[in-house]
Amino acid sequence: MKRNLLIIALACMLLVPSFIFAQPAVEESTSGTMRLAWWGNPTRDERTLKATDMFMAKYPEIKIETETTGWAGYWDKMNTQAAAGSLPDLMQHDYAYMLQWVSRNQLADLTPYIQKGIIDLSKINDSFLSGGRVGGKLYGISLGTNAVCLTYDPAVLAKAGIAEPDSATWTWEDFERIALEVYRKTGVQTIPFFTTDPKVGFDNMIRQSGAATYGKTGLGFTDPAALREFYAIQLRLLDAGALIRPEVAFVTVTPEEGEFAKGRSWVEFIWSNQFVSTQAAAKRPLKLALLPNIKNAKAKGTFLKPSMFFSIPASAENPEAAAKFLNYFLNDIAVNDMLMGERGVPIPDDVRDHMSTRVDAINKQIFDYISLASKNAGPIDPPDPAGSGEFLKMVRDVTQEILYKRISLDAGVSKIMTQGNQILK
Amino acid sequence: MKHINRRTRTLMEDAAGYAFISPWLLGFVAFSIIPILFSLYYSFTDYDILGDPVFNGLENFRRMAGDQLFWQSLKVTFFYAFVSVPLRLIFAFFVAMLFNRGTRAIRFYQAVYYVPSLVGGSIAVAVMWRRLFMADGALNAALAKIGIISNYSWIGNPDTAIWTLIILAVWQFGSSMLIFLAGLRQIPKELYEAASIDGAGSFRKFLNITVPQITPVLFFNLVMQLINGFTVFTQAFVVSGGSGDPLNSTLVYALYLYQRAFKFYNMGYSSAMAWVLVLIIGVMTGIVFKTSSSWVFYEAKEGK
Repeated sequence: MKRNLLIIALACMLLVPSFIFAQPAVEESTSGTMRLAWWGNPTRDERTLKATDMFMAKYPEIKIETETTGWAGYWDKMNTQAAAGSLPDLMQHDYAYMLQWVSRNQLADLTPYIQKGIIDLSKINDSFLSGGRVGGKLYGISLGTNAVCLTYDPAVLAKAGIAEPDSATWTWEDFERIALEVYRKTGVQTIPFFTTDPKVGFDNMIRQSGAATYGKTGLGFTDPAALREFYAIQLRLLDAGALIRPEVAFVTVTPEEGEFAKGRSWVEFIWSNQFVSTQAAAKRPLKLALLPNIKNAKAKGTFLKPSMFFSIPASAENPEAAAKFLNYFLNDIAVNDMLMGERGVPIPDDVRDHMSTRVDAINKQIFDYISLASKNAGPIDPPDPAGSGEFLKMVRDVTQEILYKRISLDAGVSKIMTQGNQILK
Repeated sequence: MKHINRRTRTLMEDAAGYAFISPWLLGFVAFSIIPILFSLYYSFTDYDILGDPVFNGLENFRRMAGDQLFWQSLKVTFFYAFVSVPLRLIFAFFVAMLFNRGTRAIRFYQAVYYVPSLVGGSIAVAVMWRRLFMADGALNAALAKIGIISNYSWIGNPDTAIWTLIILAVWQFGSSMLIFLAGLRQIPKELYEAASIDGAGSFRKFLNITVPQITPVLFFNLVMQLINGFTVFTQAFVVSGGSGDPLNSTLVYALYLYQRAFKFYNMGYSSAMAWVLVLIIGVMTGIVFKTSSSWVFYEAKEGK
């Protein structure tokens, strides 16, 4: 027993100095192995793996190990790894979770790597970077730009004899009129707004009223008019028979099984980076439009959102290699040629200009939409506060209660106001 | 001397036994005991996974009492367990009775009927279940064939959505069925022969021989399935896409626990929920055990 202790003690003594001396060496080197994690789909996985191969061919001193899962499983995994202190060196991150992670000191500030010249941001307009900033520090770099949008079926409008909307100026009144007329003339209905995350929908209207969904504490708005209108429009359409019943709309389905893909809704509410899969499921020409304006809008509801980030966890073992890969992934024309803007419209000017000449017709529509949106966008709100997960669940529950007509519109709206302030306090 | 020898020998034997099961033991300690102890600790803390757990005494349990979704999930789970478990057992028993008659292709059918138990939690089944019970699904199409025109969304309606999960549970009767079948084969033939000689009909034989003889197996199945029923997660998760839709009518306890832990970052609260579930299952199993003496028939008792 004593002997064992002695050996352990000796081993520790030997290890300690080597640790001290090894430390600076690790800091300086950009060689060795790094781990990269992202959530994705088969297309993204394939292209990202190819990007790592291209990187390793160019920088053979760095070896990249990869981990990938779907969206839901990804966060289960990352949260667990965060708790265990075994996060990868570079991870895909999302705007919704950024603040929580930063406030728990899980992410590293990227500024040192920019100062050292490992990450080059010279070709990037600052407005694309602001989403990754918390308290003046940069915790994530956007891998593509995303904006909320409405996609519609121009053939249905043509069949109903309705002119296509001017998406920069149209109002919710126009939307409602079109929805009713489409239903009257073609029988095609309207899908309830943003069934997976209704907050995205009314957030746009609240922003237009000059407020924000989230405040410093509690809700960021006191006048529920915009929130009320979000549900009132849907209820009016529902009562007219023009809205797809909630019993149908709130069944979780694959895009192919969805009412829009089946041609039973003339419209669907999505993020612009979902357009490729929405289009593939619908198998017919679609168009993109901005969300309609509210009456007497005071501000822009739409904003450009980083579709996803690359972030370096604070516990990363090889952050310099991670930074080097991040820079390559971001700025290299050849690798972006292969990635084809799958994560969203690229943010460096030269890459974006190059890409817009290369992408196919569907992606061209997205590029055009993002440039339309950037002319009609306001600044992005701060990342979601702690408690937002519970808030979104509550909002979705109340949305169902209203549309299933379990509670009245007024009761539902005041429930969101009071419970929202409680949850987010 | 002899005494010590025996002692060392038993010790050696014990050691050998433990050595042989050590892979399992290691896994049990690392993946069950340690996480269980941690979750007990977390249940008394405010823990958001990313930060450090902060001790907050019984606060989690106090919050639970005022949490509407907690009570909703309890309601859903109790309903699910109390309806699906008896239905599944009855169905499993019925099919086992059929198989016990000894059809020629019995082994084939046994395998086939076990398949649903294997694939029940898969995404493919979730998709199929939606296709069956959605407004333009197979069920309504079948109803239309017999003249009932319906566009009722069975899966999207809060009054019927839980029933789609219950039917899914009943459909996965395979393991209970196999255990029943094994039990049925154990019943001595002499009992039936003697009853026949005494002129008992088949219903009488079923009631007075089969049912009492099968009660030990029924008891086992009931306990196992009750535990399964209260901890149901996968089916609810895949069919509702993890949401408990519609209107939280399929928000079973374990699903809400998962949402709390990984969607709301309330690991402390969800650990507390897990322990409450342990208590509930303990009480339920305890009740079954307590009442078992009055309805479970053990042959050994008769012959003592």
